[in-house]
Order: sequence, then C-alpha cells, then structure tokens
Amino acid sequence: MRRIVFASIATLVAVTLAWGAAQSGVLRYNSYMMDPVPRELDAKIVALFMERYPDIRVEHSSVAHEDFKQAIRTYLVASPPPDVLTWFAGERMRFFTRTGLIANITNVWQGSDWEDVYPVGFQSMSQDAGAYYFVPQSYYWWAVYYRTDIYDEVGLEVPETWDAFLDNCRALDAAGYIPVAIGSRYGWPAAGWFDYLNMRVNGPEFHIRLLDGLESYESEEVRNTFAHWKQAMDAGCFIDNPASYDWQDAAEFMIQGEAAMYLMGQFILDVFPADARDSVDFFRFPIIDPDLPVGEDAPTDGYFVSANAANMENAKLFIEFLGSREVNEMWAREAGRLVPRTDLDPNIYPPATRKGLEEILRRADYVAQFYDRDTPEELAGRGMDAFVEFMANPGALDRILADLQREAERVFAARQ
Amino acid sequence: MRHRPLAPLSFLLLPLGLYAVWVIYPTLATMALAFTDWDGISPRQAWVGLANFERLFNDRVFWLSLGNNLRWVLVFITIPTSLGLALALALNRNVRFDRFLKIAYYLPMVLAFVVIALMWAWIYHPRQGLINSTLFHLYGLAQSLGFDVNPAAARRIGWLGDPNLAMGSIIAAATWQHVGYVMILYLAGLKTVNTELLDAGQVDGASPWQLFRYVTFPQLAPVTTIVLVITVIQSLRAFDLVYVMTRGGPFNSSNVLANFMYIEAFLNYNMGYAAAIAVVLFLISIGFIAIYLYRVVQQEER
Amino acid sequence: MRRLVLIVVWVGALLWLFPIVGAFVTSLRTQADISANGFWSVPREVSFANYAAAWKRGRVNRYLANSFIITIPSIVGMLVLSSMSAYALIRFRFRLNRALYFLFVAGMLLPFQVLMLPVFRLSNQLGLYNTHLALILFHTAFQIGFCTFVLRNFMRTIPVSLFESAVIDGAGEWTIYRRIGLPLILPAFAALATLEFTWVFNDYLWALVLLSSDRLKPVTAGLSTLMGQFVNDWPLIVSGSLLAAVPTLIVFFALQRYFIEGLTMGATKG
Repeated sequence: MRRIVFASIATLVAVTLAWGAAQSGVLRYNSYMMDPVPRELDAKIVALFMERYPDIRVEHSSVAHEDFKQAIRTYLVASPPPDVLTWFAGERMRFFTRTGLIANITNVWQGSDWEDVYPVGFQSMSQDAGAYYFVPQSYYWWAVYYRTDIYDEVGLEVPETWDAFLDNCRALDAAGYIPVAIGSRYGWPAAGWFDYLNMRVNGPEFHIRLLDGLESYESEEVRNTFAHWKQAMDAGCFIDNPASYDWQDAAEFMIQGEAAMYLMGQFILDVFPADARDSVDFFRFPIIDPDLPVGEDAPTDGYFVSANAANMENAKLFIEFLGSREVNEMWAREAGRLVPRTDLDPNIYPPATRKGLEEILRRADYVAQFYDRDTPEELAGRGMDAFVEFMANPGALDRILADLQREAERVFAARQ
Repeated sequence: MRHRPLAPLSFLLLPLGLYAVWVIYPTLATMALAFTDWDGISPRQAWVGLANFERLFNDRVFWLSLGNNLRWVLVFITIPTSLGLALALALNRNVRFDRFLKIAYYLPMVLAFVVIALMWAWIYHPRQGLINSTLFHLYGLAQSLGFDVNPAAARRIGWLGDPNLAMGSIIAAATWQHVGYVMILYLAGLKTVNTELLDAGQVDGASPWQLFRYVTFPQLAPVTTIVLVITVIQSLRAFDLVYVMTRGGPFNSSNVLANFMYIEAFLNYNMGYAAAIAVVLFLISIGFIAIYLYRVVQQEER
Repeated sequence: MRRLVLIVVWVGALLWLFPIVGAFVTSLRTQADISANGFWSVPREVSFANYAAAWKRGRVNRYLANSFIITIPSIVGMLVLSSMSAYALIRFRFRLNRALYFLFVAGMLLPFQVLMLPVFRLSNQLGLYNTHLALILFHTAFQIGFCTFVLRNFMRTIPVSLFESAVIDGAGEWTIYRRIGLPLILPAFAALATLEFTWVFNDYLWALVLLSSDRLKPVTAGLSTLMGQFVNDWPLIVSGSLLAAVPTLIVFFALQRYFIEGLTMGATKG
C-alpha cells in the first residue's frame, strides 16, 4: 500500500516537472480584448505572427476585461508570468514598473526607430524615468453618442453648450424617451461623467491635480462639479437605476431606440448591430465654461513584456511585431481605431474615425487617460463607488465627499 | 484498540501532513499576515501592528459588509430553517408523488453557486428578466382593468441595481438553495423521532401543534443544532453569489465580508488588510464552530 | 387542513422549479427575440443554438473537461487519505487521538477566507500556481477534515472482533486496513464520493484564486469568462450555466440515495 502511494506521488511530481519543461518553447500572450471586433482582430494578428515565425507557438488567452484588471497582478507574480500582456498606459503601467514587474524594452524602441514615428505624447506615456516599458497600440476618444433618428424626430440640434444640452434632455424626456443611458454596474461609466464635468467646470489642469492628490475632493471646485451633475439629474437626463446595468445592457436601450444618448468611448459602436450603426453619430461633450482649456479623455491601450518572462527573446520579437506599421494599419482599417504611429495614410481611417480625430482630438487642449487610469487604482475604486452612490443618493454628497477625501489622503500618504 | 505509539504514524503521515500544510498552516499564517502590509507582490512585508485593524474599524465599507452579513444570518436562521422544517413535517408522511416534491425543493442544492447566481441574475434582469417581464404583463393587466399603473415602471425595478433591494435579492436566491438542505436534514432527523410518544400523545387528545411543540421538536434538538450551525457558517462564508451577481455593489450596499476581503486582496492587493478581514470572519465563526465541537464532544461521551 | 398544506406544498414546489424551468425555456430562444418581446411571448424560433455556441465558442467543453480533471483525482485522493486517517483514529489509542479528531472536525467549518491568502502564497512558492495540481492538492487536503469525520464515525460501527481475528492470523496493520477496513467502508465511500463530487465540481472561489489561465479553468470559473464574453446575451449565458450543471445533475439523479446519505451522515450521525 505504502509503495503504491509513494510511487503515485513520484509519478505525479515527475509528470508535473516534465510538463513544466515542455512549456518553455511557447509564447504566452494574455489579452483583455473580449468584444467581438477587437477579439477577432487580435486573433488574426496572432495568426499572422505565427505565420511569419513558424518556430514560435503563441498561446493566446483572452480574459474578460473586468476580470483581467483584477487578475493581472496574479499573472505577473506567477512563476512564470505570461510573456506579453495588454494593458493601459500611464499611471497604471507605472504602478508595475515601480515594482519591477515590467521588462525594459528600450532596445526594442531604439532598434525599430520608434521615436521617429510615435509622437512625443505617446513616448512619455510609455516611459518611466527615461526608459521604455510599453508599446501603445490604439487610443480612442470619448464623446456623447446619440441616435440621429430620435433627434430628428424630436426636432433637436446637437448641443454646444450645457444649457442647450439640458434643454435637449427635457425635450426628450417629455417626448417619452430616455435622454441619457448609462450602465454603471462596474462604476467606470459614471467616472466618465465625472471626468468630463470636472474638466468642463474646472479645467483639465485642476482635474489632473485632483487625481494626483494635490487638490481636495471636498473643495468648492469639486462641489461645483457635482452641482452641475445634479442639474442634469434634475432635468431628467438619466435612466433610472443605472447601477442595475452593465454598460452593454444600458446600450441595449439605445439599440432598441428607447434611449437617445450615451457618454461612452468610441467602442460603443462595437456592440451595435451593423444595420443600427447608421443612425448613430456623436458630438463633443458640451462646453460649460468657454474660457477654460478643453480636456478630453482618450485612454490608450497597448502591450508590455513581463520582467520575468520565460521567453524573453520571442516576447520582444512579438512586441516589435505588435508595434509595427503593418499591425497599426490593421487596427486602423479593420477596427476603426486611432493608432499612434504617424507614418500612416490618414485616409485609411473610416469616416467616423476621421471625424473623431478632427472634431474631438484635434480640438482638445489636453488629453487625459480616464479617471481609473490617471489616479491610483485603489482610490479609483472608491471614487467610482462614490460617483455611483451620488447618482442614486445626491443628498448624501457631503458624507460621500468626506469619505472619499479621507481615503484619498490615506492612499497618497502611503505612497511617500 | 491497540496501544502502539508508532503504528498510527504511517497511516497519519500523508493525510495529516497534507492537512497541516494546506489547512492548519494557512489558518495560522493568516493571523500573522493580518499584522503586516503585504501587497501580494513584493517578497518583503513589514510588521504594522494593529494598523490594519484600526483602519478596518474606521472603514465604512467594513461596517456595511458586517451589517449585511448579520442581516444574512438573521434571515437565514429564520426563514429557510422554518420553511425546511415545515416541508419536512409535511412530507414525512406518505404523500403521493412525495419523491417529486422533495426533489423539486432540493434540486437547487446540486447546482453550483455560480450557476444559481447567473440564473438569478437573469431572473432579476430589469429588462429581460423573469420577474420584471411577469410584472410588466401584470401591470398591463391591472392597467386595462382601470388601475393607474404604468407597465413601463415594471421594467425600471432594479432588483440588483437598487441599493435597497440588492442585498435582499441575493439573500432570496440563497434561500431558494438552502431550504432543500434544511428539509433533508430534518427529514432524516424525523426518522429518529420516537413514534410511541406521539401515539401516546394522540391518545391523550393533544392537538397537532402541541404534539409538535412538546414531543417532536424537542427530539429534533440535535438536528436543530446542526442546522443552525451549518446555516450560520454558510451565510458567513457566502462569496460566490455576491461576487457574481453584484460584486458588492451598488456602492457596497450588497457587500459582505467574504466579497470585501476578496476585492481587497486581489483587486487592491492589500493582502495584509484582507487578512485582517479574514481574521474578523474567523472570530465571528469561532463561536459557532465551538458550539458544534461541543456537541461532538457530548456525542463522544455517550 | 391537510388538503391546504398539500396544496401549499405543491404550489411551492412548482414555484421552486420555476427558475430552472424558466431558465431552460429562455435558453432555447435568441437574445434579439427576448430583448424585444420579453419572456412571456411566443418565441419566434426555438433551437439549441445557444447550447452549441456556449459549448464551442464559449469553450464550455474545455471547462467541463477541466472540472473533471480537477474533481476525480481530488475525490480519489481524499477518500484514500481520509480512510487512512480514520483507520488510525479508531484502531490506535494514542494521546492525541481525540485532539486530532476535533482538529479534523473544526477544519470542515472554517470559513475559506481564512485560508485564502497563505494558500495563494504557498502555491506560488511551490511553483504550483496556475496548475490543476494546486487545486487537486488543496481540495484533497481541505476535504480530509470532513471525510475523516464521516469515515471515522462510520468505521466505529465495525465490530472490533473483525479486526482482532485478522491480528490473530498474523496480519500487519496495513494488511488489515486493506483487506478488512476498506471493503467494509465501501458503502460510506459511495455516499461521500457523491457528495464530494458535487462540492468539488461546484467550487468557484479556489479556481479563481489558484488559476489565471483561461484554458485551465473549471466550468464554474469559466462561466464568469462566458459572462464577460457574451455580456448581454442572457439566453446564451443561461444555457452555458445549465450545461455546467449537467454533470452534477446526472450524478445527483443517478445516485440520489447516496447523495442524501452523505449529507445526513455528515450531519446527524456521530
């Protein structure tokens, strides 16, 4: 009996070791692209890479976006971690470079002369202390998407000012439509509203200072932001119970023609069936204070290599491929995304994307990465809870802001 | 029984060894971890004394979660337990199709909590879900009968999105699963009840309620203890349902300690802080574990 | 009065079944159909397409395979090891006998959260993180508490004379365990195995904690990937969930008797 037991254990151990060894020739790539269009393109790019380099086998895991955000730390401390991962630029990336979990890929940047084709803004978001750790892949703008057919029916114009926007809400409400859909179950759609209101009311500089812990959530300026938010709520702009819905669930209202507008990233179009996309257009978030510089949210996605990657050489090869002009063109042409490289023919973008580039990005004085990417992650969670709670319970604003400020102080103090 | 000091070792080595490594050591390690600021990544972890506990007791989310756990426990030890008992009493006799009836009630026990969570998340869906769809038609019916109700309002009820309804909705789904468990335990327990006493009581003219209260229920005391302990432990451990259905939202109105701990550990990577939450959970549970152990000891004495 | 009680019980039973039945009905319809017309409408088309999609595109086939890969070895492991520890507890008198028994009992009531973080750290340190082996080892170890409890109490009902006669014949303890102990507790094994199959198969938390690769996930954790992938396609998500429930349902219906025996053995006896 004992012999059987020991023999089984020995076999188990041997098998595990052998299996582990066999894994080292494989390149592991973890991606959070789950929505249908990017997911397909992602798979296509991987297949193309494997065609070019037949000796390398890429093991491609797609994980749901929300789960990926939680799981990434677990990925990076695993032994071995995945080789290449998708991730966000800026603060979110620097969090991991500070703990030494991302590989320095300066030699890849220099070897491919990327500094010549990636604009300065993208260089700085890929760096930490002068070295490169990240390759940007695409970015997108946020705007108020709206149904042109509903607007036409109610006889509305695209609002340029805040008051015009509120008037539109009232008109839509009276006509029996839901003026603005929002699905704040996971918090960040509400953060989009905070970002824009704060940037429009107080200017992008104040906004970034707030997110860096240099201003207080209990300040007059922030209260003013929430006062404007309350105006929109009082004008009947928002859907009831936004926290019941995932952002896609809420988009369903717009797809079914029950809701007119949605402040969301450009990827909202991915969930619209092809025939419905024709009646959707977008406009820039209305200006509240015309004397302030205009800030926009344009989060950037990209890739990095784990510091402890088992397959470092191949990982760098893969990431070089991902940052190439060819792959950038695929993202521009087939997914309608904006890509950072400047050596592309601008006509490659579909008309909707060109409109985004002209109307929103070129007219912006400042580009932010989005609330939960510009402020420490832990604080972002509490912040988003605060925004969702405010929408359900605006009377509790004082308590909400006090709690949030206390948490902010704790998080920023711990970083010193 | 033989008295040979070394023989047991060969039998206990593997099981106890495995148990010590994966159960005993981790329990102790969590206690230690609660006094550090480990973030799950760095190999170093600094001793911070009671800082995590201090922060915990000042954290609004902790009190909200604890309150929800208590609410869960209270509901669980009253509703599914009495329902389960009532069902067991009703189905203990020879009822036609009793097999079918019993299966209907304890089938949910076989389902994974994730499956239950996804099913009920659909049921509670404001637009497409079973409940709101039904209400929509009921409202429509009422409206056609002349009542002043708007069917569209049925689609606005957020069972999982309204902070006042979320926790209750989740507990309802948990109750759906738990009633069957209690019923089975009581059905087994009822088989051990002394029928002679019942017959004697009936001869004496006692009412069914009196029979239950003075004869049956006291004899069920051992089962009731088990049921209560298991029920409380289950409600304290509850994680899957909350995590999948609402993740503790909206803004922590449906948060429970287990979910709070997981999020602090694996989303915010405050592993020391999360360990402190685990310690609190453990301390709350320990009273009930002790009750169970006491019963076991009593059993041993017999 | 009896009539009334029966009616209530019947209505209750139908209500209790309704969620599952409703879910099944929904799984046969399409998302577009349900979203536009609601649940209480005549379906425009009825098909098992969602099941096919969940199985293939949703990768439920792979997740189910993983569930079995994790569950079966765990059950074998815990039964074998627990029978050993239970045997030790009833056959030998030694000082820590009682204390060990209580240790095993206490373990089965522990809130999992109190084990989570060190187990996560340990699996990383042992290089087992993100492997099926980690889950198998953990489940085996954790369930030893409950299984030892049940088996020990079951074994106590075996007359000592059976063991002693083997001793007189000159058999060693391991032989006695193998030839006499194990065959006698086989009925208990059946009940335990059925119950444990359900528990380990349905585990979600530990799969989340110890696995990061999607291709290794058991069906429970895989369902949340499914939910992330087909976000508002509820008919598809529901069909995936029902698929995930099929193995435990089959085991349950085939081995009902053992399942209930296992539950009650653990709770009332002893």
